[in-house]
Amino acid sequence: MSRKKFNWNYLLIAPALLISVSIILVPGILTIISSFTDWNGISPNINFIGFENFKELFHDKIFFISIRNNVIWTVMFVTIPVCIGMLAAMLLLSRKKTRSIYQVAFLIPYVLAPAVNAMLWLNIIFSPVVGLVAYFKGLGFDISSPLASMKSAIYACAGVDIWHYWSYLTVIYLAALRQTPTDQVEAARIDGCNAWQLFRYIYMPNIKATVSLMFVMIVIGSFLAFDYVKLLTGGGPAHSTEVLGTYAYSYAFSSMQVGKAAAVGLFMSFFGLIASGIYARLSRKEEMQ
Amino acid sequence: MKRKMIAMLLSLAMIGSMLTGCSVSTGSSDDDKKTEDDAKGEESADAEDGTVTKSDPNMKDREEINLWFWGAEPYAQEAMQKILADKYNASQDKYQLVIEFRPSVDTDMSTALAANQGPDIVYGSGPSFVMPLVEAGKLEAMDAYAEEYGWKDRILQPYYESGTVDGKLYSLVNGVSTMGVFYNKKVLEDNGWEVPTTIEELESVMDQALEKGLYASVTGNKGWKPVNENYGSLFLTHIAGPDTVYKCLTGEEKWNNPNVQAAIEKSKEWWDKGYLAGEDYVNLNFSESLQLLADEKSPFFIGPSIAFQWAASFFTDDKEENIAFIPFPATEQVPDETYTLGAACTLSINANVSQEHKDEAAKIIDMMMQPEFMQEMTEAWPGYWGTPLKDLTTVDTSNMGYLSKSFVDVVQNISGAVNAGNFGFYDNVFFPAATQQAIVNIEDVWYDTISVTDYLDNMDKEFAAEFEKGLVPPIPKPAGIQ
Repeated sequence: MSRKKFNWNYLLIAPALLISVSIILVPGILTIISSFTDWNGISPNINFIGFENFKELFHDKIFFISIRNNVIWTVMFVTIPVCIGMLAAMLLLSRKKTRSIYQVAFLIPYVLAPAVNAMLWLNIIFSPVVGLVAYFKGLGFDISSPLASMKSAIYACAGVDIWHYWSYLTVIYLAALRQTPTDQVEAARIDGCNAWQLFRYIYMPNIKATVSLMFVMIVIGSFLAFDYVKLLTGGGPAHSTEVLGTYAYSYAFSSMQVGKAAAVGLFMSFFGLIASGIYARLSRKEEMQ
Repeated sequence: MKRKMIAMLLSLAMIGSMLTGCSVSTGSSDDDKKTEDDAKGEESADAEDGTVTKSDPNMKDREEINLWFWGAEPYAQEAMQKILADKYNASQDKYQLVIEFRPSVDTDMSTALAANQGPDIVYGSGPSFVMPLVEAGKLEAMDAYAEEYGWKDRILQPYYESGTVDGKLYSLVNGVSTMGVFYNKKVLEDNGWEVPTTIEELESVMDQALEKGLYASVTGNKGWKPVNENYGSLFLTHIAGPDTVYKCLTGEEKWNNPNVQAAIEKSKEWWDKGYLAGEDYVNLNFSESLQLLADEKSPFFIGPSIAFQWAASFFTDDKEENIAFIPFPATEQVPDETYTLGAACTLSINANVSQEHKDEAAKIIDMMMQPEFMQEMTEAWPGYWGTPLKDLTTVDTSNMGYLSKSFVDVVQNISGAVNAGNFGFYDNVFFPAATQQAIVNIEDVWYDTISVTDYLDNMDKEFAAEFEKGLVPPIPKPAGIQ
């Protein structure tokens, strides 16, 4: 009779699993429960109010403005930094000796704290007292800070975040591009491929998995956007830059309506889950192929 | 070699930038700081959230009494340590008062108290912040201490009452604030403008300032959206009138009444005319606004009296006496000198600490409710510590600088007006949380995303729900209410 072999894998993953359950699953479940209550975040008196929070959100104009802004954020992030990052990575690919210097220089905004980046933009660029805006105004140009306009503020916030983020994508893409087999590249060159064809038919298929993964990460990150909006505009002017993250924060800590904040939080997770689901499906498809 | 050097330099720049982002400036060099630490105690800074904790390593054997405070500027932290903590620590040998300066004190406090943790002395940003904490049983009733220290007799009645819930005292406002008009004397003199005594005169000067290419007034909500509530509260006091607001807050009237509507419309008119710094409102904070006022770019800064503390940085040397403060000018609806009652902060006692710690917390709060404390703190930190006492005659201003003296005058004037019942209601003191948030959202009206009627209907709905839950603090009666 053979003794069943003990599987050490379970024991080894236990600590990580325990931490995940404690700090992700339990709070996650509590958030779902809270979204059906009128809890204010402090009081022990909690009433279950069914779908009331969700019903109110569906009648709330600002909630839909927040979703729209998250979508704008996502569209901007899956295009602008991806294109800039890819272009920079392709250019750096041929700069074998100096690319380390460029990477470090490009990464500086990424490693700075969001609060520092936001202060830089608020005080050096957008400030009407000492910033670039003030300088150009002084020269007689009729310009004002884009943060002051309801039409441009969300793009300005996303722009600052993109400025801080694109270099991260450059580094990731560059690392992936460098994994492309050189024999394929050389063969394509001998066959007369131009730069675009080289990118389209040689590099792109090789880095497709990385690009897909980053796409999903960007979508998830875009629906979790919070810091730059909070720091630059606080969701204003007149809620024009409100995203789901800032709206949930405002419910939780300003209006003391944690139940409603939890409901908003669930929507943030919901969009992230959709992106994760798409990624899982795509990955499986690729594996099958 | 050259490339390696460049790479190293860039790496160093990156690390330096990271450290800059994470460090907490205490306004002194490392050497200075070390000397100060040796002399005055230990200061630790949490790089993650900017919290600064001040404690004395020589008192490690003493029990700690904790006070969490907002992340005040370094000179203000030093003043609190010296005038409050060091004095208290020297007064006995069992406890040590440890002050933590936390930039996110409001959210930290709510979270800690919800988990039955938190400091012994509970800082609050206003009585309305206190209401949910009382409802949750997180704060200790302070009536016994009020009797022991005679707080009810010494503190201005509206402020004392604002800290009570169902007749029991849970918090004390320890710094008054009011909305008014700071003006640059030189700008007014140079342009031949008189100090305005009515809203029409104020508007006339602002119109002329705009024509001359100046700001009508400087202010802004950059980095702190709740600045909006200053103007919401201001127009409610001076256009809707204290009696109307009193009736709304006590449920006698709805918020969508014609007087409140007129107040919100007036704020919108000011916004449209560019009286609130025009399109730069969202790009200016109070410091920048006061810098512009000092630089003579505007005749006025309309804002809270606690702005005296930031004025000290810009009105220096020969400019120091260029600034002055007046209450908001008379309006047709409110002709008398009337002050919107605001609070710099409130202090309460944590219900989840030992009885001994509660007693010590009360003793420390009482130290902060003395005219001597106000005097010493105002000398070092003008503009914040306007203790709401009935009698401020013992506050000696002879050693104070111009700004500190001006601030004490303002607090004494508020005290007189409050005793006469001439006061209005600042939303962060008297409005429950969601209604207060509705006032913060007044910019929705300014930017035309909602009509005044719809805005007030929504506010009324929020208020009705909170009123029903008993979340409205006690509302003192202003003059004219029977």
